Amino acid sequence: MKIEFINVNKNYGLINALTDISFVVNQGEFVLITGPSGTGKTSLLKLLLHQIKPSSGQILIDDVDISTLPKKQIDQLRVKIGVIFQDFQLITDKTVEENIALNLDIAAYPENKIPARIDEVLSQVNLKNRRHSFPGQLSGGELQRVALARALSNQPDLILADEPTGNLDIENSWLLLKLLKDINSNFGTTIIMTTHNQDIINSLDYPKILLRDGKIENINNEKIIKVKRSKKI
Amino acid sequence: MNTLKHTWHHLRRSPFQSMLAILVTSVSFFILAVFLILSVGMSSVLQYFETKPEITLFLKDGLDRVAVENVQKDLSAYPNIKEVKFISKEKALSIYKEQNKDNPLLTEMVTASILPASFEVSVTDPKVLETIYQNFSTKKDLVSDIIYQKNFINNIINWTNNIRIFGIIAVITLTVISFFEIITIIGMKITNRKEEIKISRLLGASKFYVKKPFILEGIFYGISGAALGNILATIIALNLKTRLNTFFNPIIFIQPNISFYFLIFFSEILVGICIGYFSSTVGVKRHIKF
Repeated sequence: MKIEFINVNKNYGLINALTDISFVVNQGEFVLITGPSGTGKTSLLKLLLHQIKPSSGQILIDDVDISTLPKKQIDQLRVKIGVIFQDFQLITDKTVEENIALNLDIAAYPENKIPARIDEVLSQVNLKNRRHSFPGQLSGGELQRVALARALSNQPDLILADEPTGNLDIENSWLLLKLLKDINSNFGTTIIMTTHNQDIINSLDYPKILLRDGKIENINNEKIIKVKRSKKI
Repeated sequence: MNTLKHTWHHLRRSPFQSMLAILVTSVSFFILAVFLILSVGMSSVLQYFETKPEITLFLKDGLDRVAVENVQKDLSAYPNIKEVKFISKEKALSIYKEQNKDNPLLTEMVTASILPASFEVSVTDPKVLETIYQNFSTKKDLVSDIIYQKNFINNIINWTNNIRIFGIIAVITLTVISFFEIITIIGMKITNRKEEIKISRLLGASKFYVKKPFILEGIFYGISGAALGNILATIIALNLKTRLNTFFNPIIFIQPNISFYFLIFFSEILVGICIGYFSSTVGVKRHIKF
């Protein structure tokens, strides 16, 4: 899935959350959105999910401006995106299995294949033994792995990870990052991850977009910058 | 996981709210079923008396044969007359004795001479009874008394109408209560599951996908309430059937044929589905706006 931001601005009343954001993420890339808290990283992901609309500018997904999409196609677009939230966003009165099954059901995954698929993704995140547990019975690291399993379950084209290590200890953070890296390299899934954790930023050799005060301060990848410039022309 | 599973999940997670909705709905449908059964019973009573229109004219003592025959001719000349039956003093005595055969004290002092002869007139159209009554009321030299079922039939009509009016008011009131009860409970359940709805929408669920389980839940309340209320009313009616039908004999007050109860059952289920569907749809529209 190719993502393109073209001169995107987002205002909340008089507050400018994002200003003149332009970049391109190509199919299969793993991109980090970095910067301190409150710089608009989450707003950027919300724009991609069409949870919020840009005040101006265009967001293209596979060359289609998502602001022109009818509501039904927005739902279909979201099905193609796996999301991992900092606070996990798991349904507390559903088991691990039911949480993943819900995502598969929404994606219209064949019903008879759902149990096998759940097995598969739980094996990937090493949580097969937690299949019937409720979120309240899991540790933070396990919860985030369930969230990842849910995001992976319907084989999305894009994974958005919003501070996925924010609530995890060091060990679980690295475990989650390893899983994300494997998914990216093995399945070619595009991943956009936000983080303000400097250790993670420094350890990963991926394109990084640094946001500060809602503006792009730096992009460490020539390909992304070039496309941005060519769009501006 | 399909919609039915989601619906079952919602029901299971807040059973007391679900039970309250079913209970309130079942009270409405119980009253509706009782009202329908009573209404049909009262209609049978009314129909029985309406199809047996009669007026009895008691003749003055001492009338000669010609005078009696003239009264009979006059009566027969009215339109829509089915039968004009003469009851002589002797016949009246034998009827009286038959009616009071278990009470010899009432029969031993009575002779044919103290009982009046009479004409029993049955008609095919009850309207003519009023004309006969009006005309013979003035003929005091021929007729000593007239017994006419007008008041009795009017009483039954009034009772039937009152039962119908009371039934309709009760059913409408309880239906409105059930309707708002389901809206409120669906609203509460949506509020309880706001987080789940929000997450589902983020995962790509359409608005209809998240609304569907709540609408099905409302329909479930409608069906369960209708079935429960109806079954209870039917059990009570069938238990009282013999006693009430003996009391109203020969009128069949409580219908004995089971198809009548099936008809009410399926009609109520249909109404239950409609109430459940519309109330939950209103509830869902009010509470799911994202």
